[in-house]
Amino acid sequence: MNRRIIAALYKKEILDILRDKKTILMMIVVPLILYPLIFVGSLALMSSVMNADKAKPYTISFGLSDSGEELGKYFKDNEKEYDYSFIIKTGLTDVQDEENLNSGELDAFVHETVSENRPYYEIGYRASDNDSQTAAEMVRRLLTDYRSDKSIAAVEKEGLDPDAVLEPIDFAFKDYSSNEENVGFIMGYIIPFLLIVSILMGAMYPAIDTTAGEKERGTLETMLTLPVTGTELITAKFLAVSTIAVGAAILNLLSMSFITAYTVSTAGMVDGNRMDFNVVSFIPTFFITMLCVLVFAMFASAVCMCACIMAKSFKEAQNLTSPVMIVFMICSMAGMIPQMKLDKVTSLIPVVNISLLITDIFSFNFDFSLIAAVLFSNIAYSALTIVIMTRIFNSEDLLFAEAGHSIRIIEKRSDMKKGQTPGIGDLVLLFSVLLLIVLFVSSAAVLKLGIWGLAVEQFLLLAATVFYAWYIKADMKELFHIKKPKAVGVPGAVISWVGALLIAVVVSDILIKLFPGMNTDTGLGDLWDGKAFWIVVVNVAVMPAICEEAAFRGFMLGTLEKKMRPMAAVIITGIIFGAFHMSIMQLILVGALGILNSYVTQKTGCIFLSVIMHFLNNFSSVAVSIYPEKAKGLLPFLVEESLDIKTMVVLVIVGSVLLAAGILLVNKSSRKA
Amino acid sequence: MNIETKDICKKFTRIVGDDKKEKKHKEEFFALDHVSIHADVGEILGILGPNGAGKTTLLRILGTVMSPTSGEVYLMDGDKRVKGGRVEMCRHIGYLSENTKLYHRFSVREIMHMTAEIYGMEKAAIDERINEIITMMGMEAFADNRIEALSTGQTQRANIARCLVHSPQIYIFDEPTLGLDIISSETIIDFMKSERDKGRTVLYSTHYMEEAQYLCDRINMISGGRIIADGSPAELMAQTGTDNLRDTFKAFTV
Repeated sequence: MNRRIIAALYKKEILDILRDKKTILMMIVVPLILYPLIFVGSLALMSSVMNADKAKPYTISFGLSDSGEELGKYFKDNEKEYDYSFIIKTGLTDVQDEENLNSGELDAFVHETVSENRPYYEIGYRASDNDSQTAAEMVRRLLTDYRSDKSIAAVEKEGLDPDAVLEPIDFAFKDYSSNEENVGFIMGYIIPFLLIVSILMGAMYPAIDTTAGEKERGTLETMLTLPVTGTELITAKFLAVSTIAVGAAILNLLSMSFITAYTVSTAGMVDGNRMDFNVVSFIPTFFITMLCVLVFAMFASAVCMCACIMAKSFKEAQNLTSPVMIVFMICSMAGMIPQMKLDKVTSLIPVVNISLLITDIFSFNFDFSLIAAVLFSNIAYSALTIVIMTRIFNSEDLLFAEAGHSIRIIEKRSDMKKGQTPGIGDLVLLFSVLLLIVLFVSSAAVLKLGIWGLAVEQFLLLAATVFYAWYIKADMKELFHIKKPKAVGVPGAVISWVGALLIAVVVSDILIKLFPGMNTDTGLGDLWDGKAFWIVVVNVAVMPAICEEAAFRGFMLGTLEKKMRPMAAVIITGIIFGAFHMSIMQLILVGALGILNSYVTQKTGCIFLSVIMHFLNNFSSVAVSIYPEKAKGLLPFLVEESLDIKTMVVLVIVGSVLLAAGILLVNKSSRKA
Repeated sequence: MNIETKDICKKFTRIVGDDKKEKKHKEEFFALDHVSIHADVGEILGILGPNGAGKTTLLRILGTVMSPTSGEVYLMDGDKRVKGGRVEMCRHIGYLSENTKLYHRFSVREIMHMTAEIYGMEKAAIDERINEIITMMGMEAFADNRIEALSTGQTQRANIARCLVHSPQIYIFDEPTLGLDIISSETIIDFMKSERDKGRTVLYSTHYMEEAQYLCDRINMISGGRIIADGSPAELMAQTGTDNLRDTFKAFTV
């Protein structure tokens, strides 16, 4: 990919989009003018309706009720208290009342019958009529008051204290959440929905315009005459659409913030006092929301473009994006469902995760690991969608619509070249699958099979990786670095690993001292309690050494080293390997080990060395935790809770020397030497 | 620079049948069937053939916007074959067809500028080259107008200007004079002639036989995805015993 070309294409796409009046309309007029207008307008309308409600008299009939006169008087006497007015009718028959109610002359009626010596009132109303509903509600309140007045009178007549008899206890509510929290809570319900929909609206039009629109206008073929690859074209288009979507979302967010500020400042008067409200407390919320907006805009753009790219015309693209719109809208309401919480699972469901996350952060509920999960899963899904999109886009069947009708999302296997190297897209796709295996399948497998679940997980990782490589007809030997190790390579790898281990012991000790809360426990210990030593070794040391190495030092390193400088590939592979273990402590230690393993594999072109190192590493930690006593006798620093400075210095020096010596040996056996 | 193809085939699928007499089904067919052609430096090669003969597909493949199902397309710089794939090849080719439309929200100048940037031309050279082309194509009056405001003839001139930006060695024009008035088409014909005289290679297709007879140095007739005749207009007329290309065309294709 050529950055200059992408920049030139991006500039063109942005200009093209911005010169289109319809986009401007969607982007600026809707959020900045329409939303405030709708909001302020509907507020005004609502308050005028409510005032009109109060001014309007409601007609209520008491028919032939015995206490009709008395009740009518009671209603008239109390109408001031409720801010309503009534027109009272009496003396009509039940049938007349019903007719009048149905014709709308009457808003409600109250008919008295006597059952078991108690007066029983039936309130007649029409639920389908707003006025009638309000009238019935007023009648209910007044009758309740009337009843309570009667009770008090009866109790007083008996010479008792009505308070003591009728209300022997009192209670009241007090809200301990702050005003900010209350506002956040309400906003958290509305904002996700509005934001998701507005981002989608912002992305949709440019997505259609730059893909199907371009095809329809015939400019795509012009573009194809230029020295531009499909990937560059798609990348530039994607960046442009995302930019517009982000722009639209920011405008929407600002507009919504303005509306909220307006509402809080006008309607936020509580009992005549200005609501005490601290805007500053919303700053972190605002920033995380912006991050969400950013990644979600990418995702929405990618999905919209992916749908549009299959269309031949503007109209067809609109048809294809409608279902996307509906699905997104439904998912965006997840935040409104009280039972839906952001957790390990929901943080990986697209759209739903953004909705839930925004709801959470508006309730000042920050769980950084979940925020990271949401942000990264969105990035991963976007990348995946772009890969698919590029594949679709490169298919001539779609570019030259008259040529055929079949949509080939992924190349037919028979069309693939033998011995090709996987691309970055393949890498993202495969590792998204591997991540899902680690996150979901493995916990289920462990739950069912205990420690053997680990082996199942590892086997699946290996199977997925090998299958993918086989499917795209990769050169297995080259990709997975399958080669006989040179004689000096094996001791080189082992010595460098011992050196690294010694340094790692010190580093982890320092990390624990610096961050006492950090969890070093992998949680695996419980699994192997009481299991035979060989079972633990097979599951925890042998399987990961083979399977994880095949995925990382094989597929990932093999792909990356073809795309970038070898050292960059080594470091990236190491860091991702660390990140795959999903804890900060592991990220540092495992990441470092990953870099060392990648380095050895890269230098020697032989994966077996890093398999040995990985095995030794896992084996040693298994051995130490199962036989702590023996380990203590042999190498006390491995088990000790805390190291003194002297031991640390010695370990670091010895470790560095061993590491250097090992690396020297490895370099000697490098593939070039 | 010469452009050559060796045994190229292009397979498409089309849907046949209407569900009444015959069930609807997909059918593969060859739009191009082992086509080998060559266009050499300093000549205008005309590609003539009836509708659906495979002209556009052939020119698309030559213009690198489509790839052949089998066979190969390559450029020859003297005796040396030019290395590199599609991206390298299209740096030497200026391709124009009915389907290469221009961005209607941009001006001629902007389109040329963007094209030049994508070809990776130096910033300083870009403006100079653009002005040179504007003068050459006589577009001073409308160079800064958006495409949507231009007439058909002006748009076609702008489209040619677009494929000149990177000073290609080979021009591939698919019906460049279609639907143009005499003045506009003369500008374009004169342009092709002058480029040929400068030693460029021009490949061109048309349905106007008089134009082809007058302009082409050599003609390839294509029908049913195969090249059925190759020779100068005079040679082809002699072969069929006709005295104008129109009759020659009928003799070959009917």
